[in-house]
Amino acid sequence: MATVTIRHVSKAFGENTVLQDFDAVFGDGEFITLLGPSGCGKTTMLRMIAGFEKPSSGEIWIDETLVSGGKTFVPPERRGIGMVFQSYAVWPHMNVFDNVAYPLEIQKKGKAAIRQAVEKVLESVHLTQYAQRLPNQLSGGQQQRVALARALVAEPKLLLLDEPLSNLDAKLRESMRFEIKEIQKRTGITVVYVTHDQTEAMAMSDRIFLINRGAVQQEGTPADIYNRPLNPFVADFLGKVDFFPGEAANGKIIFPGMGGQSLPYGGERRGRVQAAVRPENFVISPDGPLEGTLETWYYLGDVNDCWIRIGETLVRVITGGYRYGTLRAGEKVRLQVRDMMVFPDDGSLEEILSIQT
Amino acid sequence: MKEMDRPGQALRGEIRAAIRTWAGLLLCFLIGAMLAAAGLQGQRELTESGFGSEAAYQAIYALSRDAEEIGWILLEDLNSLPESASRGAESAARELLAAGGLQDADTLGAETVWRYLAVYESMNGPKLSSGERKALTGLNASDGKTFRRQALKCLSDETMPLPAETAEGLSALDGAQRREMLLRQVVESAAAANASYPDHINQLKKSVRGKDLQERAFRMIAAGKLNWVWQAVIGNSRTVILLGALLMLDVLVLFLLMRADQNWRMNVKWVMILGIVDFLLVFQVVPVVYMVVRAFSPENTFSLSTLERLFSYPLNLDALKNTLIASFSTMILGTAIAFPLAWLVGRTNLYGRKFFRALFVMTYMVPPYVGAMAWLRLMNPNVGTINLWLRTLFHLPDVPGPLNVYTLPGMIWVLTTFYYPYAFITISRAMEKMDPSLEEASRISGASPVKTILTVTLPMMTPSLIAGALLVFISAASCYGIPSIIGTPGNVNTVTTRIVEYVSLGQQGMNDATGLAVFLMAVALVILFLSDVVLARKQYITVSGKSVRPSTVDLRGWRVPLTVLVGLFAAVVVALPFGTILATSFKIDIGKGLSAEGNFTTGNWTAIFSRGETLGCLKNSLIFASVAATAGLVISCVMGYLLQRTKIRGRGIPHFLITLGSGTPSVVIALGLIMTMRGDFGVNIYNTAWILIIAYLIKYLMMGMRTVVSAMSQIHISLEECSQISGASWIRTMTRITGPLIFPSIAAGWFLIFIPSFYELSMTTLLYSSTTKTIGYQLYEYWTFTSQPMSCAMAFGILLFVILLNFGLNRLTRGEFSI
Repeated sequence: MATVTIRHVSKAFGENTVLQDFDAVFGDGEFITLLGPSGCGKTTMLRMIAGFEKPSSGEIWIDETLVSGGKTFVPPERRGIGMVFQSYAVWPHMNVFDNVAYPLEIQKKGKAAIRQAVEKVLESVHLTQYAQRLPNQLSGGQQQRVALARALVAEPKLLLLDEPLSNLDAKLRESMRFEIKEIQKRTGITVVYVTHDQTEAMAMSDRIFLINRGAVQQEGTPADIYNRPLNPFVADFLGKVDFFPGEAANGKIIFPGMGGQSLPYGGERRGRVQAAVRPENFVISPDGPLEGTLETWYYLGDVNDCWIRIGETLVRVITGGYRYGTLRAGEKVRLQVRDMMVFPDDGSLEEILSIQT
Repeated sequence: MKEMDRPGQALRGEIRAAIRTWAGLLLCFLIGAMLAAAGLQGQRELTESGFGSEAAYQAIYALSRDAEEIGWILLEDLNSLPESASRGAESAARELLAAGGLQDADTLGAETVWRYLAVYESMNGPKLSSGERKALTGLNASDGKTFRRQALKCLSDETMPLPAETAEGLSALDGAQRREMLLRQVVESAAAANASYPDHINQLKKSVRGKDLQERAFRMIAAGKLNWVWQAVIGNSRTVILLGALLMLDVLVLFLLMRADQNWRMNVKWVMILGIVDFLLVFQVVPVVYMVVRAFSPENTFSLSTLERLFSYPLNLDALKNTLIASFSTMILGTAIAFPLAWLVGRTNLYGRKFFRALFVMTYMVPPYVGAMAWLRLMNPNVGTINLWLRTLFHLPDVPGPLNVYTLPGMIWVLTTFYYPYAFITISRAMEKMDPSLEEASRISGASPVKTILTVTLPMMTPSLIAGALLVFISAASCYGIPSIIGTPGNVNTVTTRIVEYVSLGQQGMNDATGLAVFLMAVALVILFLSDVVLARKQYITVSGKSVRPSTVDLRGWRVPLTVLVGLFAAVVVALPFGTILATSFKIDIGKGLSAEGNFTTGNWTAIFSRGETLGCLKNSLIFASVAATAGLVISCVMGYLLQRTKIRGRGIPHFLITLGSGTPSVVIALGLIMTMRGDFGVNIYNTAWILIIAYLIKYLMMGMRTVVSAMSQIHISLEECSQISGASWIRTMTRITGPLIFPSIAAGWFLIFIPSFYELSMTTLLYSSTTKTIGYQLYEYWTFTSQPMSCAMAFGILLFVILLNFGLNRLTRGEFSI
């Protein structure tokens, strides 16, 4: 399949720089996700790979071919890419079969070959019996699968997906997630997937590029990014996290907001820090180092969502649903911390936390 | 909650409401029936009376009151006389009436005799000299009384001395003549108290001729039977029948609507709907239907003679052929220009896209006749500017040509330059709405830009392409301005010019005009139906995820040549004609160039701004267009509310009629109004400003309605509901939330009705009167009869005014609306 090499690509619309110095190699057969809040530049990057936008500077290579860069520009139709659009972009004036057959007809394949290929790809997206339907007779999920089939039918070496699931309802989104992943595994195709949904990214990707304000914040496997975020933004964007300002010194961090209670710390940072703890990494345990009062809690079935007051700070703790019978509001509890991330406190946290996906 | 607890009571409440509604409906229906019956009775009375005119009844009503008054004065005078004198005077009066032809004068009651006499004498009595009249009417009340008593005594006793005032007229008379003169003078003296009496007498004299009829009138006056209600009914019998019929119809429709809804509670919205429907029924449906009926039964029986005569006349066949050829060619040509233009301007990186777009859209609001005038100046076979250039350029002999605007191709060219924007606007709107990823999907599938246009863009655009094309077709077919200015001098007739010519021929012509109008109407209906079908099938509405900037196609090497091409086109269809108009407006001799010696003048401009006639026409246009726009906007807002905020049954009826009205060719609307608005159908607004205003309203109402309705559809109801939940009243919600949100559209709607009404020509040509000339018609008159340069000055003035309005509108609505 294909590798995509992106060399120092920047993109500006007039004065407005939307992507800065993107530099990466997407390996053959990899499932790459460009993740980030809306307006971060991830869709622009995807559209540059497709050839709908030209980079302001830098180069894009697909395999050994320079497709964008310098004076070279290969138009989208000659890049041999499959793409699924957020709005599906299923042509309403053609039926499902014609939509899917279109890329092959452009390639002037024989009728029989087209029929065979279309039937095969329709079967793989479970649409065989809808071949003669018009798009407006299909549900959103079915249209989505038509778009996917159309992108795959010509057996491209590279598949681009632009928020393909964002217009589907939750159940469908989950099943489509698996279908796409399944197809990718089967065909070994290289996939570049754009989304703002961190769950989607976590579930599907081999590697994630987390982008904010036109710059890559971190790249890595889902586990890397989730467990070892490089900065507070990454920590906050993936999963739930709470930040506690503290003072690091002498193997511990003291939290003034928690009545001066402290946690042991073996890291190198000193002085003002932000300690970030994911709610599921607090454990209610009689020998924990922190002491607080269980203020209120919500039973959510699989888990309990607890709010524990420590000094002036309200700490969110997610604990297993089986603890339902043991929790009492107003009771004193002790907390253990399983994993803690420590960032230097440079005062930018407020702003980072205000970013909405 | 009480009703929940006691369902029986709730049901009883429903039943009570239903009974109340039924009773109300029945009452209204009966009132309608009574009105209609009274009107019919009045009509019959009018016919049977033989008076033949409603004015007679008005005079009779007025005179019966006058006569009663005069009669009482005379009776009072008589009662003060001795018995014998009084009886003598009365018998003299009876004798006179009998001699005047009243057979049963002897049997009349005393009171009747004097009333009768009062009017009879004023109508038929001997003439009084002006000296006598002055002497009699100049008396004060008590002197007058003394005079009459003296004169009345003289009737039975010739020896009595005559009053001084009568001496002159009576000295030479005796016997019956003397008595008649005396009575005449007595009546005159008594009538002096009533100032309007002579006018009423004159009115009766004018409207009732012949001895028998006059006797009938006298009897009615004397009997005083004609009360004001009856007089009003007879005097306006057709209007009364119309009102009664409308009321009955409304009640019937209301009943059907309520029954279909199974809801017997009265709803004010139905009254709104029926109000609008009634208006359109009277001024739009009845005229057009009547016109169709007349075309097929000119002599009140079904006959195809009108159509036969019409269509065996070569000139008309020619006109039909020309109209069809011209409209079809304009449609093809206009769409063929509009589609690539819309694509280039909307979806590529052409230089100056925004400027070109604004320019092409602007031509949409230019009056078509202005274009016709310009092209006439440019392509006149003898002195047309383009022809002169071509002859110089190619060293052609100095003979007419090579281009001639006075031909069918010439007309098609001018029609195309003025109607392609209709298709351009329709297509570019659809193009802007199209989800760009549909095209991107095609590119990424391997299709080149050209292939993408052919396989994706074009098929997606088909519905709006067809709708735009049909719009061009029908606009060209019903256009009057261009064919009348270009076709008529070149003997290229079209259906519209033939209709206007026929109308100017009088009654027979009117019948023939209906035949052609029916043809035009039929074409329009077919087109309307077709475009409705096409647009109804327009299911190509796609989910657009996020608002992407519309992707533009990079023209690369073609960018400069294509920009030059579009620029050339703009120069030819916009700059050249408007420049010509402007240049001509400063010329004295239109045959010579502007730079020729002594040919430059600003006189045309000063003339149009100083002539009282022109300014009067301008005032008319401004007033008529403002009234039409304001009335249209009120209806538009009601319709916007009904269509977007209610689910009331029957709201589609006025919507349908308004759409139909705007699709009806202008000349057809005007012709229908001419034939039905002269009083025969209960409304007489012929030759008034109202007939023009109503014509504008019917033709352009849809423009305003569409704007307001689409604005309302974009304001989600939740915005209003949120205001209500915040505690705001309905009025507060309207003024604080809905009003400000739809204000731009309301302003736009107003101007969209105002602007075409302001410069309208086709309907005005048929409907104007000497006091209701408009600026559009004045311009046409100047062009045809007075001075072409002056007419060009007016045309450019109108153009500037319209552009200014458009600019103002754009500002007012922060760029959201312009035409």
